[in-house]
Amino acid sequence: MRPGRSFRPNEGSPRLLEVERGDRRELWTEAVGDPPPVYGERWTEVEERRYRSFEPGRSKLAAAVIRGWAGDLPASGERWLYLGAATGTTASHVADLVGPDGRVYAVERSVRPFARLLSLSERWPSLRPILADARDPLAYASLVPPVDGVYADIAQADQLAIVLQNAELLLTGDGARLLIALKTASMGRHRSAAGHREAAERTLADTVSLFASVPLEPFHKGHFMVGGRWGRATRLPVREDARPTRPRERRPGRRAR
Amino acid sequence: MRPTLVVGNGPDLFVTGSEPVRAAGPFSLDPDPRRAAARFDTLGPSDLPYDLLVALGSLPVGSRLLAAPPRLARALAEAARRPVGSPSAEELRHARESIPRADPEAERRFFLALGHLRLERALRAPEEVLITLAREEERVERAVGREARAAESFIPVPESPLDRHLVAWGRARGALGDLEEALRATLEEEAHRLVPNLSAVVGPRTAARLVALAGGVGALARMPSARIQLLGSRRRPSAERGPRFGILYRADRLAEVPIGRRGAYARSLAALAAIAVRADASTHRDISAGLVARRDRRIEMLRRRRR
Repeated sequence: MRPGRSFRPNEGSPRLLEVERGDRRELWTEAVGDPPPVYGERWTEVEERRYRSFEPGRSKLAAAVIRGWAGDLPASGERWLYLGAATGTTASHVADLVGPDGRVYAVERSVRPFARLLSLSERWPSLRPILADARDPLAYASLVPPVDGVYADIAQADQLAIVLQNAELLLTGDGARLLIALKTASMGRHRSAAGHREAAERTLADTVSLFASVPLEPFHKGHFMVGGRWGRATRLPVREDARPTRPRERRPGRRAR
Repeated sequence: MRPTLVVGNGPDLFVTGSEPVRAAGPFSLDPDPRRAAARFDTLGPSDLPYDLLVALGSLPVGSRLLAAPPRLARALAEAARRPVGSPSAEELRHARESIPRADPEAERRFFLALGHLRLERALRAPEEVLITLAREEERVERAVGREARAAESFIPVPESPLDRHLVAWGRARGALGDLEEALRATLEEEAHRLVPNLSAVVGPRTAARLVALAGGVGALARMPSARIQLLGSRRRPSAERGPRFGILYRADRLAEVPIGRRGAYARSLAALAAIAVRADASTHRDISAGLVARRDRRIEMLRRRRR
């Protein structure tokens, strides 16, 4: 990315830049940390500001933006709770988006990914790593102040329940945001991926005013980005790709009963 | 009357809530964020700031006192000699909103120090030690194999610099071999200690690798035997020709089973391994003798069937 190229800041999150390269869209975030790269992403400098490429193949949040996510994103100066931060690939970009005055409280349960997240946090000033289980928010509720949003990427069967439990305890209140990278493969085989997405939206609709969800394919198979603003919705949003769900096809090799 | 609530913003504690202690603080756990993190991590009665206890002393008898996290509530109950409860989600959120934010740099250093403390404690657990050793052994084993293959294809030229290089290389390979041997001895010792039944059935090194692949003894104990059988396999499961083995292919005594019968043996061994690890994870009883006898009978049966 060179100065003068056609890049434009995202409307809701000005530290996220979108660049058109022919028929391809690239995303960049303004880095709050120092090199070296976190996961091999590209770095560049424009007018004394450093930017990192935000790769949709590596991050579900980037994939959602590329796939047309129209909902809110983390923005400058906000506080976000990140559940399932792993080694900090996306968490570092969320920290970029909230900028040096914002905070990202990154919760990770597994020890080895947390070790990498911790060393990343040493050079990423707005990241606050927490070694804890997201199923037990009371364990870290006294460390995390009320947050403007919760971003969750936890591949668990009960991921929605975990997120809602955290949101109830730690969101500032109505209007706070919830972004969930829904991994349908972890939610059981009794429904299709689209069925899981609809069930998740129905569950969330009780407490959340939903944004239109987007599928993350081809970047992340069987994943959807769902989310909304905390506070009861009047009706479900209409998705552009909405279509009636078909019954799931029988898998080959299975005998009919 | 609203309850009085003690809550922290990281390095400092605050009192929020009712009369006569309307809101008070900060009560610093320690001026140094690292020492504050260490105190927060243990949080016993002796870690509580004295001025916090003095402030709470003015609370009327019978008023409700709450604190979060639960560890702080327990410490306060012991130090103040009065019941201390846990707040509801709403009460906690209200309290957190009413207290000032921590200084950004102090908060950052507090979180990093707390992260390091908790990480170190987690890595010290016997299960994590075993997982680390198993991964190290795998890495060193790969290095030894790679060096051995390279040495086989290296052509020495007598009385040349290449010859001197070969001598130095040989010493380095010897040292690597010694490291592997020492690592294996430590690994086997730890595996026998943590998963004795599983170690007896499949061998200590394979047992350690299974635990590492599953991510823990508890996780391995929750797996069905069909999953244990394929842990570590590289081929994808398929109806036509799926893998028969994962890391179990390296189990003790496998070489004694005829090649055509190893798929059948894999199923039996995985079933025995599943029983063994469940005993290691829950009952901690030594049932290894019975399991090893069943394994050996199975091997004998498979060998006889071939003839």
